[in-house]
Amino acid sequence: MNNAPASPPVGAAASVESRWASPEMRARIRRRYGAERRFKAVGLIAVLMSVGFLAFLLGTMAWSGLSGFSQTRVALPVDFRGSGLSIDASSMTKAEAMAALNQQGLGDLLQLSATSAYGAQGESYFGTAAKESAAAAIYDDPSMLQRQVELALPATSPIDVAAKGEGDAASEAAVARLEAAGKLSSGLDTTFLSSADATDPTVAGIWGALKGSLLTMLVTLALAFPVGVLAAVYLEEYAPKNRLTDIIEVSINNLAAVPSIIFGLLALALFINAFGLCQGSPLVGGLTLALMTMPVIVIAGRNAIKAVPPSIRDAALGVGASRVQVVFHHVLPLALPGILTGTIIGMARALGETAPLLLVGMRAFVGGTPDGLCSSATVLPMQIFLWSDEVDRGFVENTSTAIIVLLIVLLSMNAAAIILRNRFEKRW
Amino acid sequence: MTTEPNTAPKMTARGVNVFYGDKQAIDDVSIDVYRDHVTAFIGPSGCGKSTFLRTLNRMNDTVAGARVTGDIRLDGEDIYAPEMDVVQLRARVGMVFQKPNPFPKSIFDNVAYGPKIHGLATSKSELEGIVESALTRAGLWGEVKDRLQDSGTALSGGQQQRLCIARAIAVDPETVLMDEPCSALDPIATAKIEELIHELRGRYAIVIVTHNMQQAARVSQRTAFFHLGKIVEYGATTDIFTNPREERTKDYITGRYG
Ligand SMILES: Nc1ncnc2c1ncn2[C@@H]1O[C@H](COP(=O)(O)OP(=O)(O)OP(=O)(O)O)[C@@H](O)[C@H]1O
Ligand SMILES: [Mg+2]
Repeated sequence: MNNAPASPPVGAAASVESRWASPEMRARIRRRYGAERRFKAVGLIAVLMSVGFLAFLLGTMAWSGLSGFSQTRVALPVDFRGSGLSIDASSMTKAEAMAALNQQGLGDLLQLSATSAYGAQGESYFGTAAKESAAAAIYDDPSMLQRQVELALPATSPIDVAAKGEGDAASEAAVARLEAAGKLSSGLDTTFLSSADATDPTVAGIWGALKGSLLTMLVTLALAFPVGVLAAVYLEEYAPKNRLTDIIEVSINNLAAVPSIIFGLLALALFINAFGLCQGSPLVGGLTLALMTMPVIVIAGRNAIKAVPPSIRDAALGVGASRVQVVFHHVLPLALPGILTGTIIGMARALGETAPLLLVGMRAFVGGTPDGLCSSATVLPMQIFLWSDEVDRGFVENTSTAIIVLLIVLLSMNAAAIILRNRFEKRW
Repeated sequence: MTTEPNTAPKMTARGVNVFYGDKQAIDDVSIDVYRDHVTAFIGPSGCGKSTFLRTLNRMNDTVAGARVTGDIRLDGEDIYAPEMDVVQLRARVGMVFQKPNPFPKSIFDNVAYGPKIHGLATSKSELEGIVESALTRAGLWGEVKDRLQDSGTALSGGQQQRLCIARAIAVDPETVLMDEPCSALDPIATAKIEELIHELRGRYAIVIVTHNMQQAARVSQRTAFFHLGKIVEYGATTDIFTNPREERTKDYITGRYG
């Protein structure tokens, strides 16, 4: 109190009042409000910018990718009478029937019909996708082999792309003619959603990569979640606070920041070279991504556990709960929303990861759908990467459509997390 | 009201020291707590009342860096002996905390939690009976009997504190430790809790920490005055309040203590 401020004395009531009403004070208040307004404006601009980027991204993807879900079909009259094609639908599986039809010359018959319907050019309208589609149609209704029918068959990539407005001049002209004749139609591209990668863009599909991604994520989650949560619980609730645990804490924090490609190298050395696990499979991919996701879950888990008020622990200990009971009955349920948030962030990152998977052999062309954890597979971002490298216009569309599928998977994962979180969220 | 206990002490402490790291919070404290008496701990803030209370059911074990030396016995059994089961000890010596801390679960689950983990009920109806009797003894049954499934945290502060008392007595402890149970409560809720303490006396040994001299005088039969980590004076409440031996005690209870 010796060196009291020299500014206005605080003695009389009048002087106190005038101090709050003085011009300097008013100017200070104005400056304060000004700073607040500026801060709000900057914040708003930042939010608008990120929303703008997101809208732009989604917009372009939707623009160029949504058409990939549909497929252009061209009507083709086929006369099966006298073709010599025959199948026994009751005893054959679909795959067997399709193979038999191929062998009996279904392809040639289609090409013949195409040339007779559309002239010499007609041959280029129909490819592998048309053949498969025709075979499937025959399998569903074998009686058509005794008749003449008109089938709407998927067009080849140049026609498909031209019909969607981006083709070369010759295909555009062909499309215009077909359009005028009323031979064009479009439908949901079931092939894209149900098949795996192929060299022909009209036959190539996303299901192989999608299933690969889902299997890989399953392995990642099954390993990273329990191990991450248990590590977090141990470090928070049981580990003595000493040098060693400090070092472990620092290591885990650093691990979360290690570039993902390094995890790929580690996984290559560990899982493939040392353990000899199946290369390029969802199992190895999932293990690799689990290594990467675990530190994220540990950090999020520790923070969530730390945030549980100590009074709840005291309360449980006070009625004679053991430490394990305190953790599993009280701490974990309260920390779960936070743990789930962290898990989802980690899993989302893992879902979009390509670099470490390149190193464990998941970049090969995989023409089939993985049917187990050990069969070779690819994942969505890898499929996008592979397709974006192709020159065929059909693959450009496939790439955008694959990105949409990836984003949908991501959004549904986030939505699941939010639902779970709201379900478990409790107030104290 | 008896002034001198005629039974063996429920809990005894001899030469107890508590350290937080290098800092000594409790210095050579010895005290006896009796079953048919309410014992009050009074003393200025920071003198170690809570610290000492928490040594009686080993809640200090959870504080990093806390160390307890000396001898504390429950019915003659050394509670710091290595073979002592801490989990069981805390069920036998229940605790009510200064700040109400119900679990973020339903009212029913709050009270049922202790009996459940100790396997005190063999059937659902038996559990319901335990919950009802605990809530009734805590003076809360009438207010909550129609909303047992509501969250315990949705109750008022006073109700929460009585819920915490119900939770503590639901496991049928032998001793109940209460750390300023009324510090957040209004006079009506305080009166209810004091009434409850009267009812619980004789059934449980009760230790209560309080900053309210009138409360100590009203509810307790024995009072210990703590100062700077030591017990300055311990005796019958009537003696402490009417005829303190020590000057410091007299200053404190008459409000002259700085
Ligand atoms: N966890 C802790 N770590 C370090 N020192 C502590 C800890 N808890 C308490 N202390 C110290 O021990 C001394 C006694 O604290 P305690 O909480 O027992 O006081 P109190 O008598 O209960 O006070 P109040 O009436 O304010 O609750 C204080 O000096 C306090 O700073
Ligand atoms: Mg205290």
